[in-house]
Amino acid sequence: MDRKLLAILVCPLCKGPLVDVDDELVCKPCRLAYPVRDEIPVMLEQEARQLEPEEEY
Amino acid sequence: MNAHDVSHYHLDKEQVRASFSRAAADYESAAILQREVGERMLQRLELVLIEPQCIVDVGAGPGTQTRLLSKRYEQAHVVALDLAEAMLHQLRANELRTNEPLHEASAVDISCVCGDAESLPYVDGCADMVFSNLALQWCNDQNAAFREFRRILKPGGLLMFSTLGPDTLEELRYSWSKVDGYNHVNAFFDMHDLGDALQKSGFSSTIMDVEQITLTYKELRTLFSDLKTIGAHNVSAGRPKGLMGKARMNRLFDAYEQFRKNGLLPATYEVIYGHTWAANEQEQASSMNGEYDISMEQFRRQLKRSG
Repeated sequence: MDRKLLAILVCPLCKGPLVDVDDELVCKPCRLAYPVRDEIPVMLEQEARQLEPEEEY
Repeated sequence: MNAHDVSHYHLDKEQVRASFSRAAADYESAAILQREVGERMLQRLELVLIEPQCIVDVGAGPGTQTRLLSKRYEQAHVVALDLAEAMLHQLRANELRTNEPLHEASAVDISCVCGDAESLPYVDGCADMVFSNLALQWCNDQNAAFREFRRILKPGGLLMFSTLGPDTLEELRYSWSKVDGYNHVNAFFDMHDLGDALQKSGFSSTIMDVEQITLTYKELRTLFSDLKTIGAHNVSAGRPKGLMGKARMNRLFDAYEQFRKNGLLPATYEVIYGHTWAANEQEQASSMNGEYDISMEQFRRQLKRSG
Protein backbone atom coordinates (compact mmCIF):
# COMPACT_ATOMS: atom_id res chain seq x y z
CA MET A 1 0.00 0.00 0.00
CA ASP A 2 0.95 3.57 -0.74
CA ARG A 3 3.09 4.79 2.22
CA LYS A 4 2.05 8.40 1.87
CA LEU A 5 -1.60 7.43 2.12
CA LEU A 6 -0.99 5.04 4.99
CA ALA A 7 0.61 7.88 6.96
CA ILE A 8 -2.66 9.83 7.08
CA LEU A 9 -5.17 6.96 7.40
CA VAL A 10 -6.79 6.23 10.76
CA CYS A 11 -9.73 4.14 11.95
CA PRO A 12 -12.90 6.09 11.01
CA LEU A 13 -14.47 5.14 14.34
CA CYS A 14 -11.81 5.78 17.02
CA LYS A 15 -9.42 7.84 14.80
CA GLY A 16 -6.59 5.69 16.14
CA PRO A 17 -3.64 4.30 14.15
CA LEU A 18 -3.94 1.26 11.89
CA VAL A 19 -1.68 -1.73 11.34
CA ASP A 20 -1.03 -2.73 7.72
CA VAL A 21 -1.36 -6.55 7.59
CA ASP A 22 -1.53 -8.29 4.22
CA ASP A 23 -4.60 -6.92 2.49
CA GLU A 24 -6.15 -5.43 5.57
CA LEU A 25 -5.81 -2.39 7.81
CA VAL A 26 -6.30 -3.42 11.41
CA CYS A 27 -7.58 -1.25 14.26
CA LYS A 28 -6.55 -3.03 17.46
CA PRO A 29 -8.79 -1.13 19.94
CA CYS A 30 -11.92 -1.54 17.75
CA ARG A 31 -10.91 -5.12 16.81
CA LEU A 32 -11.77 -4.42 13.20
CA ALA A 33 -9.91 -5.24 9.97
CA TYR A 34 -10.70 -2.96 7.05
CA PRO A 35 -10.24 -4.57 3.64
CA VAL A 36 -7.91 -3.18 0.97
CA ARG A 37 -9.21 -4.15 -2.47
CA ASP A 38 -7.16 -3.32 -5.56
CA GLU A 39 -5.08 -0.95 -3.42
CA ILE A 40 -8.23 0.89 -2.33
CA PRO A 41 -8.75 0.84 1.44
CA VAL A 42 -12.43 0.39 2.27
CA MET A 43 -12.80 2.33 5.52
CA LEU A 44 -16.39 1.51 6.36
CA GLU A 45 -17.49 -0.23 9.54
CA GLN A 46 -20.02 -2.37 7.69
CA GLU A 47 -17.33 -3.66 5.32
CA ALA A 48 -14.81 -4.40 8.07
CA ARG A 49 -14.08 -7.86 9.47
CA GLN A 50 -14.43 -8.44 13.19
CA LEU A 51 -11.13 -9.81 14.54
CA GLU A 52 -11.23 -13.33 16.00
CA PRO A 53 -10.58 -13.45 19.78
CA GLU A 54 -7.21 -15.18 19.23
CA GLU A 55 -6.03 -12.71 16.55
CA GLU A 56 -3.31 -10.39 17.77
CA TYR A 57 -1.25 -7.88 15.80
CA MET B 1 -36.71 23.66 4.58
CA ASN B 2 -35.28 24.19 8.01
CA ALA B 3 -33.09 21.89 10.01
CA HIS B 4 -35.96 20.73 12.21
CA ASP B 5 -37.53 18.84 9.32
CA VAL B 6 -34.54 16.61 8.94
CA SER B 7 -36.06 13.55 10.62
CA HIS B 8 -38.52 13.16 7.75
CA TYR B 9 -35.74 12.98 5.24
CA HIS B 10 -33.28 10.55 6.70
CA LEU B 11 -31.27 9.17 3.82
CA ASP B 12 -30.66 5.50 3.60
CA LYS B 13 -26.84 5.45 3.35
CA GLU B 14 -26.61 1.86 2.15
CA GLN B 15 -29.03 2.81 -0.62
CA VAL B 16 -26.90 5.83 -1.52
CA ARG B 17 -23.81 3.63 -1.63
CA ALA B 18 -25.53 0.99 -3.73
CA SER B 19 -27.07 3.40 -6.23
CA PHE B 20 -23.77 5.19 -6.84
CA SER B 21 -21.92 1.91 -7.17
CA ARG B 22 -24.38 0.80 -9.86
CA ALA B 23 -23.98 4.15 -11.62
CA ALA B 24 -20.17 4.17 -11.70
CA ALA B 25 -19.51 3.21 -15.33
CA ASP B 26 -22.00 5.62 -16.95
CA TYR B 27 -21.54 8.42 -14.51
CA GLU B 28 -19.13 10.76 -16.24
CA SER B 29 -21.13 11.17 -19.41
CA ALA B 30 -24.44 11.76 -17.63
CA ALA B 31 -23.23 13.95 -14.81
CA ILE B 32 -23.34 17.23 -16.72
CA LEU B 33 -24.36 19.17 -13.64
CA GLN B 34 -21.53 17.78 -11.52
CA ARG B 35 -19.00 18.63 -14.20
CA GLU B 36 -20.38 22.11 -14.76
CA VAL B 37 -20.43 22.93 -11.03
CA GLY B 38 -17.01 21.36 -10.53
CA GLU B 39 -15.55 23.60 -13.22
CA ARG B 40 -17.00 26.69 -11.58
CA MET B 41 -15.47 25.63 -8.27
CA LEU B 42 -12.08 25.29 -9.93
CA GLN B 43 -12.52 28.77 -11.41
CA ARG B 44 -13.13 30.07 -7.90
CA LEU B 45 -9.97 28.36 -6.72
CA GLU B 46 -8.03 30.41 -9.24
CA LEU B 47 -8.80 33.45 -7.08
CA VAL B 48 -7.29 31.84 -4.00
CA LEU B 49 -3.56 31.88 -3.42
CA ILE B 50 -2.66 28.64 -1.73
CA GLU B 51 -0.14 25.87 -2.23
CA PRO B 52 -1.73 22.83 -0.65
CA GLN B 53 0.42 19.77 0.06
CA CYS B 54 -2.54 17.52 0.81
CA ILE B 55 -6.03 17.81 -0.69
CA VAL B 56 -8.96 15.57 0.20
CA ASP B 57 -11.67 15.35 -2.47
CA VAL B 58 -14.80 14.24 -0.61
CA GLY B 59 -17.35 12.53 -2.84
CA ALA B 60 -14.88 12.34 -5.70
CA GLY B 61 -17.05 10.06 -7.85
CA PRO B 62 -15.06 8.84 -10.85
CA GLY B 63 -12.51 11.59 -10.24
CA THR B 64 -13.24 14.29 -12.83
CA GLN B 65 -12.24 17.09 -10.45
CA THR B 66 -9.67 14.97 -8.62
CA ARG B 67 -7.62 14.84 -11.81
CA LEU B 68 -7.99 18.57 -12.42
CA LEU B 69 -7.01 19.34 -8.81
CA SER B 70 -3.97 17.15 -9.17
CA LYS B 71 -2.95 18.98 -12.34
CA ARG B 72 -3.61 22.41 -10.85
CA TYR B 73 -1.66 21.70 -7.66
CA GLU B 74 1.20 19.62 -9.01
CA GLN B 75 3.00 19.41 -5.68
CA ALA B 76 -0.07 18.13 -3.84
CA HIS B 77 -1.02 14.63 -2.79
CA VAL B 78 -4.72 14.38 -3.71
CA VAL B 79 -6.84 11.83 -1.88
CA ALA B 80 -10.13 10.88 -3.52
CA LEU B 81 -12.80 9.71 -1.08
CA ASP B 82 -16.11 8.21 -2.06
CA LEU B 83 -18.80 6.15 -0.36
CA ALA B 84 -19.14 4.01 -3.49
CA GLU B 85 -16.21 1.70 -4.04
CA ALA B 86 -17.08 1.15 -7.72
CA MET B 87 -16.65 4.89 -8.39
CA LEU B 88 -13.07 4.66 -7.18
CA HIS B 89 -12.30 1.63 -9.32
CA GLN B 90 -13.67 3.68 -12.21
CA LEU B 91 -11.37 6.55 -11.20
CA ARG B 92 -8.43 4.15 -11.30
CA ALA B 93 -9.47 2.85 -14.71
CA ASN B 94 -9.82 6.41 -16.07
CA GLU B 95 -6.48 7.27 -14.53
CA LEU B 96 -4.72 4.42 -16.33
CA ARG B 97 -6.37 5.41 -19.59
CA THR B 98 -5.57 9.13 -19.45
CA ASN B 99 -2.14 8.64 -17.93
CA GLU B 100 -0.76 6.81 -20.92
CA PRO B 101 2.35 8.12 -22.78
CA LEU B 102 1.09 11.67 -23.34
CA HIS B 103 0.87 12.48 -19.65
CA GLU B 104 3.73 10.39 -18.44
CA ALA B 105 5.87 13.41 -17.68
CA SER B 106 3.36 15.00 -15.31
CA ALA B 107 3.40 13.01 -12.11
CA VAL B 108 -0.17 12.60 -10.94
CA ASP B 109 -0.29 11.90 -7.24
CA ILE B 110 -3.76 10.54 -6.49
CA SER B 111 -4.80 8.01 -3.84
CA CYS B 112 -8.25 6.49 -3.46
CA VAL B 113 -10.10 5.70 -0.24
CA CYS B 114 -13.61 4.34 0.17
CA GLY B 115 -15.16 6.07 3.16
CA ASP B 116 -17.93 8.18 4.63
CA ALA B 117 -17.81 12.00 4.83
CA GLU B 118 -19.48 11.87 8.24
CA SER B 119 -16.82 9.55 9.64
CA LEU B 120 -13.56 10.28 7.85
CA PRO B 121 -10.61 7.87 8.09
CA TYR B 122 -7.94 10.60 8.17
CA VAL B 123 -5.70 11.80 10.96
CA ASP B 124 -6.37 15.23 12.55
CA GLY B 125 -4.88 18.21 10.73
CA CYS B 126 -3.52 16.33 7.71
CA ALA B 127 -5.17 18.37 4.94
CA ASP B 128 -4.60 21.86 3.56
CA MET B 129 -7.76 21.72 1.50
CA VAL B 130 -11.02 19.80 1.52
CA PHE B 131 -12.82 19.94 -1.83
CA SER B 132 -16.34 18.58 -2.11
CA ASN B 133 -18.46 18.89 -5.24
CA LEU B 134 -22.17 18.06 -4.89
CA ALA B 135 -21.70 15.40 -2.25
CA LEU B 136 -22.84 17.03 1.00
CA GLN B 137 -26.49 16.72 0.01
CA TRP B 138 -26.08 12.97 0.54
CA CYS B 139 -25.09 13.38 4.17
CA ASN B 140 -27.72 12.86 6.83
CA ASP B 141 -25.89 15.05 9.26
CA GLN B 142 -24.10 17.91 7.59
CA ASN B 143 -22.89 19.09 10.99
CA ALA B 144 -21.05 15.81 11.37
CA ALA B 145 -19.49 16.20 7.92
CA PHE B 146 -18.39 19.78 8.64
CA ARG B 147 -16.94 18.78 12.02
CA GLU B 148 -15.00 16.03 10.29
CA PHE B 149 -13.75 18.43 7.59
CA ARG B 150 -12.59 20.82 10.30
CA ARG B 151 -10.90 18.01 12.22
CA ILE B 152 -8.80 16.86 9.26
CA LEU B 153 -7.92 20.39 8.11
CA LYS B 154 -4.92 22.29 9.40
CA PRO B 155 -5.82 25.61 11.03
CA GLY B 156 -6.11 28.07 8.17
CA GLY B 157 -6.96 25.26 5.75
CA LEU B 158 -9.59 25.77 3.06
CA LEU B 159 -12.94 24.07 2.60
CA MET B 160 -14.37 24.56 -0.90
CA PHE B 161 -17.74 22.91 -1.43
CA SER B 162 -20.92 22.86 -3.47
CA THR B 163 -24.22 21.31 -2.52
CA LEU B 164 -27.86 21.46 -3.54
CA GLY B 165 -30.39 23.88 -2.02
CA PRO B 166 -34.07 23.35 -1.18
CA ASP B 167 -35.42 24.66 -4.50
CA THR B 168 -33.71 21.85 -6.39
CA LEU B 169 -36.03 19.91 -8.72
CA GLU B 170 -38.94 22.11 -7.68
CA GLU B 171 -40.79 21.24 -10.91
CA LEU B 172 -40.60 17.56 -10.00
CA ARG B 173 -41.56 18.22 -6.39
CA TYR B 174 -44.59 20.23 -7.54
CA SER B 175 -45.61 17.59 -10.08
CA TRP B 176 -45.45 14.83 -7.46
CA SER B 177 -47.61 16.92 -5.13
CA LYS B 178 -50.34 16.73 -7.82
CA VAL B 179 -50.11 12.91 -7.80
CA ASP B 180 -49.74 11.95 -4.14
CA GLY B 181 -48.48 13.25 -0.84
CA TYR B 182 -45.26 11.26 -0.71
CA ASN B 183 -41.80 12.72 -0.54
CA HIS B 184 -40.32 11.66 -3.88
CA VAL B 185 -37.49 14.15 -4.03
CA ASN B 186 -34.60 14.28 -1.59
CA ALA B 187 -34.80 17.28 0.72
CA PHE B 188 -31.97 19.79 0.92
CA PHE B 189 -30.73 22.30 3.50
CA ASP B 190 -30.74 26.01 2.76
CA MET B 191 -27.79 28.36 2.82
CA HIS B 192 -28.51 29.73 6.28
CA ASP B 193 -28.62 26.29 7.88
CA LEU B 194 -25.29 25.54 6.21
CA GLY B 195 -23.81 28.82 7.42
CA ASP B 196 -24.85 28.07 10.99
CA ALA B 197 -23.50 24.54 10.76
CA LEU B 198 -20.16 25.78 9.43
CA GLN B 199 -19.79 28.34 12.18
CA LYS B 200 -20.58 25.79 14.87
CA SER B 201 -18.07 23.39 13.34
CA GLY B 202 -15.17 25.83 13.63
CA PHE B 203 -15.03 27.56 10.27
CA SER B 204 -14.70 31.30 9.79
CA SER B 205 -14.83 33.91 7.01
CA THR B 206 -17.42 31.84 5.19
CA ILE B 207 -18.57 33.05 1.80
CA MET B 208 -21.54 31.42 0.15
CA ASP B 209 -23.63 32.09 -2.86
CA VAL B 210 -26.31 30.41 -4.78
CA GLU B 211 -26.98 29.83 -8.45
CA GLN B 212 -29.88 28.30 -10.32
CA ILE B 213 -28.86 25.94 -13.09
CA THR B 214 -31.59 24.66 -15.37
CA LEU B 215 -31.08 21.61 -17.53
CA THR B 216 -33.66 20.91 -20.21
CA TYR B 217 -35.01 17.62 -21.46
CA LYS B 218 -37.17 16.64 -24.39
CA GLU B 219 -38.74 13.95 -22.28
CA LEU B 220 -39.20 13.46 -18.59
CA ARG B 221 -37.95 9.88 -18.95
CA THR B 222 -34.51 11.22 -19.84
CA LEU B 223 -34.43 13.31 -16.67
CA PHE B 224 -35.32 10.25 -14.62
CA SER B 225 -32.67 8.15 -16.26
CA ASP B 226 -30.10 10.94 -15.65
CA LEU B 227 -31.06 11.14 -11.99
CA LYS B 228 -30.66 7.39 -11.76
CA THR B 229 -27.36 7.37 -13.60
CA ILE B 230 -25.85 9.91 -11.26
CA GLY B 231 -27.37 7.99 -8.36
CA ALA B 232 -29.45 11.00 -7.42
CA HIS B 233 -32.93 9.53 -7.47
CA ASN B 234 -34.74 9.61 -4.18
CA VAL B 235 -33.21 7.48 -1.47
CA SER B 236 -34.80 9.17 1.53
CA ALA B 237 -36.18 6.66 3.97
CA GLY B 238 -39.76 7.97 3.66
CA ARG B 239 -40.01 7.05 -0.01
CA PRO B 240 -42.83 4.71 -0.95
CA LYS B 241 -41.74 1.14 -1.64
CA GLY B 242 -42.72 -0.92 -4.63
CA LEU B 243 -43.14 -0.22 -8.30
CA MET B 244 -44.61 2.97 -9.63
CA GLY B 245 -48.01 2.29 -11.20
CA LYS B 246 -48.41 3.24 -14.83
CA ALA B 247 -51.43 5.43 -14.10
CA ARG B 248 -49.58 7.39 -11.43
CA MET B 249 -46.60 7.79 -13.72
CA ASN B 250 -48.85 9.21 -16.43
CA ARG B 251 -50.38 11.66 -13.98
CA LEU B 252 -46.89 12.78 -13.02
CA PHE B 253 -45.91 13.25 -16.67
CA ASP B 254 -49.11 15.28 -17.27
CA ALA B 255 -48.44 17.51 -14.27
CA TYR B 256 -44.84 18.14 -15.38
CA GLU B 257 -45.97 19.08 -18.93
CA GLN B 258 -47.17 22.50 -17.73
CA PHE B 259 -43.52 23.53 -17.29
CA ARG B 260 -42.67 22.82 -20.94
CA LYS B 261 -41.16 25.87 -22.63
CA ASN B 262 -39.96 26.08 -26.25
CA GLY B 263 -40.61 22.38 -26.55
CA LEU B 264 -38.38 21.45 -23.60
CA LEU B 265 -38.94 20.41 -20.00
CA PRO B 266 -36.81 22.27 -17.46
CA ALA B 267 -35.24 20.75 -14.36
CA THR B 268 -33.92 23.40 -12.03
CA TYR B 269 -31.08 22.81 -9.62
CA GLU B 270 -30.32 25.28 -6.86
CA VAL B 271 -26.57 25.04 -6.41
CA ILE B 272 -24.99 26.47 -3.24
CA TYR B 273 -21.27 27.28 -3.39
CA GLY B 274 -19.27 27.71 -0.22
CA HIS B 275 -15.75 28.69 0.56
CA THR B 276 -14.58 28.85 4.18
CA TRP B 277 -11.47 28.59 6.34
CA ALA B 278 -10.67 26.31 9.23
CA ALA B 279 -10.53 28.76 12.12
CA ASN B 280 -7.70 28.74 14.61
CA GLU B 281 -8.78 28.67 18.27
CA GLN B 282 -8.75 32.45 18.65
CA GLU B 283 -10.94 33.02 15.62
CA GLN B 284 -13.22 30.24 16.71
CA ALA B 285 -13.85 31.90 20.07
CA SER B 286 -14.56 35.29 18.54
CA SER B 287 -16.80 33.93 15.80
CA MET B 288 -19.20 32.21 18.17
CA ASN B 289 -21.53 35.21 17.98
CA GLY B 290 -20.29 36.45 14.62
CA GLU B 291 -21.86 36.52 11.19
CA TYR B 292 -21.09 35.03 7.83
CA ASP B 293 -21.12 36.81 4.53
CA ILE B 294 -22.90 35.70 1.45
CA SER B 295 -22.09 37.51 -1.76
CA MET B 296 -19.47 36.88 -4.43
CA GLU B 297 -18.57 40.56 -4.13
CA GLN B 298 -17.59 40.02 -0.50
CA PHE B 299 -15.61 36.98 -1.55
CA ARG B 300 -13.58 39.04 -4.03
CA ARG B 301 -12.96 41.78 -1.50
CA GLN B 302 -11.83 39.25 1.05
CA LEU B 303 -9.43 37.72 -1.45
CA LYS B 304 -7.98 41.08 -2.33
CA ARG B 305 -7.32 41.62 1.34
CA SER B 306 -5.61 38.31 1.84
CA GLY B 307 -3.90 38.19 -1.59
